[in-house]
Amino acid sequence: VIGALTSIFTTAIGPAAFAGVAWGILGGALPGISPSITMALLLPFTYGMDPTVAVVLLASTYVGAEYGGSIPAILIRTPGTNAAAATVIDGYAMKEQGKAGEALGISLYSGLVGGLFGLVMLVLLTKPLSTVALAFTPTSYFALGVLGLSVIASVSGESLIRGLMAGLLGLMIATVGTDPVTGLNRFTFGSPELLSGIPSILVMVGLFAIGELLAQSGEANLPSPAATARIRFPNAALWRRLARPQAIGSLMGTLEGVMPGGGGTISAFLAYNEARRWSRHQEEFGKGSPEGIAAPEAANNTVACTALVPMLSLGIPSSNSSAVLLSGFLMHGLVPGPMLFVKSPDVINGLFAGLLTANIAMVIVGYVIMTPCLWLVNRPKPYLMAFIYAFVVSGVYSVEASLFHVGLALGFGALGFAMRFFRVPLLPMVLGVMLGFMVESNYRRALTLASGDALIFFRDPISAVLLGIAALVVTASLLRHLGHRAASVNS
Amino acid sequence: MDRDFAFGTASLVISVGYYWTTTLIPESQLADVIGPRGLPTMYALLLGGLSLILIGRSLGVRFWLKPAATTAESRPQPDTAVSDKTRSKPRTSKDGARRAVGTLLIGCLYVAVVPWLGYVMSLAGLLFATIWYQGAVVNRQVVIVSVAGAVFCWVLFVLLMRIPQPSGLWPSLL
Repeated sequence: VIGALTSIFTTAIGPAAFAGVAWGILGGALPGISPSITMALLLPFTYGMDPTVAVVLLASTYVGAEYGGSIPAILIRTPGTNAAAATVIDGYAMKEQGKAGEALGISLYSGLVGGLFGLVMLVLLTKPLSTVALAFTPTSYFALGVLGLSVIASVSGESLIRGLMAGLLGLMIATVGTDPVTGLNRFTFGSPELLSGIPSILVMVGLFAIGELLAQSGEANLPSPAATARIRFPNAALWRRLARPQAIGSLMGTLEGVMPGGGGTISAFLAYNEARRWSRHQEEFGKGSPEGIAAPEAANNTVACTALVPMLSLGIPSSNSSAVLLSGFLMHGLVPGPMLFVKSPDVINGLFAGLLTANIAMVIVGYVIMTPCLWLVNRPKPYLMAFIYAFVVSGVYSVEASLFHVGLALGFGALGFAMRFFRVPLLPMVLGVMLGFMVESNYRRALTLASGDALIFFRDPISAVLLGIAALVVTASLLRHLGHRAASVNS
Repeated sequence: MDRDFAFGTASLVISVGYYWTTTLIPESQLADVIGPRGLPTMYALLLGGLSLILIGRSLGVRFWLKPAATTAESRPQPDTAVSDKTRSKPRTSKDGARRAVGTLLIGCLYVAVVPWLGYVMSLAGLLFATIWYQGAVVNRQVVIVSVAGAVFCWVLFVLLMRIPQPSGLWPSLL
């Protein structure tokens, strides 16, 4: 712990956390730019950085973006991020009462509380998992990959079939390149650039950043917020009143964050509902209740930390943002999962220290950056889009100085746009791309070691438990999916 | 043609093409029990099967279940302040698709010209074209912002961050 805290001052972790939070707030405040897109835009530029600094920068961006999303939610009734949608209800009502500054202050303060609680949970939940690291075999890793893929069932949205198809397309993308066992080239079509496979960073930047840019090009301009707004932090009385909704939000954020497919949006709405249920001022909800801002903001900032639990400990991204962060780890040769705690404890400790700094930085930067943030949000959309486009093409080229990669990222951008058009969820494809290599290589290694005996996956206790959990996740998701379908048909 | 039918058909074409490509993977003396073709073949067959299910479901809804097809998925969503402004809503307009294709072409054009024109000129072109294509009135300000933006990016990435960008043919001419 002391080493981690010292690293904030002795390395570039501290400045990276501040810079990441600033970038995240700016990105989150722009309607249409989600935390994952904000992170994806930054991803290529972290290529040449120290791995710990790079992951801290990306994780801090996630923290900042969760707060940034509440700025347009409060000021122009348009959530900057999906997770800030619940903040619109009471945040905008407070703004209409001339209390925009108070609403922003509550959002910032509650985000800090939620973020710090989430960080404590992250440290407590991920460390114990590192103890099983040495027991993992190819069989266990295959089962871990299957568990990760089982998340597809819960993140497929309105259509399970479309989600499964997206997952399969992702697995197909992961097969491009040199075969992990025989060394033969597959699906490279003679291109030397494809021999090492398709870098996940290109898939991320293409699907999220370019895909959203293309989708936004057909959207209308959004209303502009006021040119000025001054944050006002809550006083002692309000501080006490907000404790309960913040506790509810932090709890909901923890539960949803660690669950596959859970995320800031669900936890924010759950926290809002529960805060209203347990409030002594229920009649104020929907009319500008401070508790109605505190609960969802605490929840989505808790998720910014707890969503990293499955990603760090099992290598399974449970949200778009954690998938981009996972891509950042992979880009630097760090493979999240049990062995990361054994091989690179310095990165883990640095990340924890960086997240602590980021949550504190959020309050300082959030206060200072408000004016430039509002200036940026007020820029005309054509200019904003043009500069985002310029950043994307510059960033992708910088990864390996390859125009082929820029073209490939544009291709994935077109795919991302098509998937949005066909209402196909992006996360299943990302899961397929991320986990495809792990699943295939370990499946084949395990079978080779067992002389082709497929029962090896059930004899290995870790593998059996992980496959059992995967089966439970799929069954629960199917039941929920069927329940929703029946409810929609009945209604 | 509804979206499920279109997506199913596109996926079916991809699965057939992918399956055909797996047959081109050569045999290897080092091959394991599954082999390099094993899982890709399975992926292709699964995708093909799911594509057929999606196409079948789409056709079934269209021809046999049309009167009952107004499930929550196809029914218009309530017009609330929150739901209609989040980015999860589907883009339906053909104009949106046209604009997306145009924006994509600007990016492709950048990739095509940057080896010759170099980073600053090509990026200025990309900025100008995108600002114009997104509906801004072309005037001196757009030109100045485009050129200044490209120079700013060059200073930021190449000079300050030491991230190389294509220099184009200029070094050989100077």
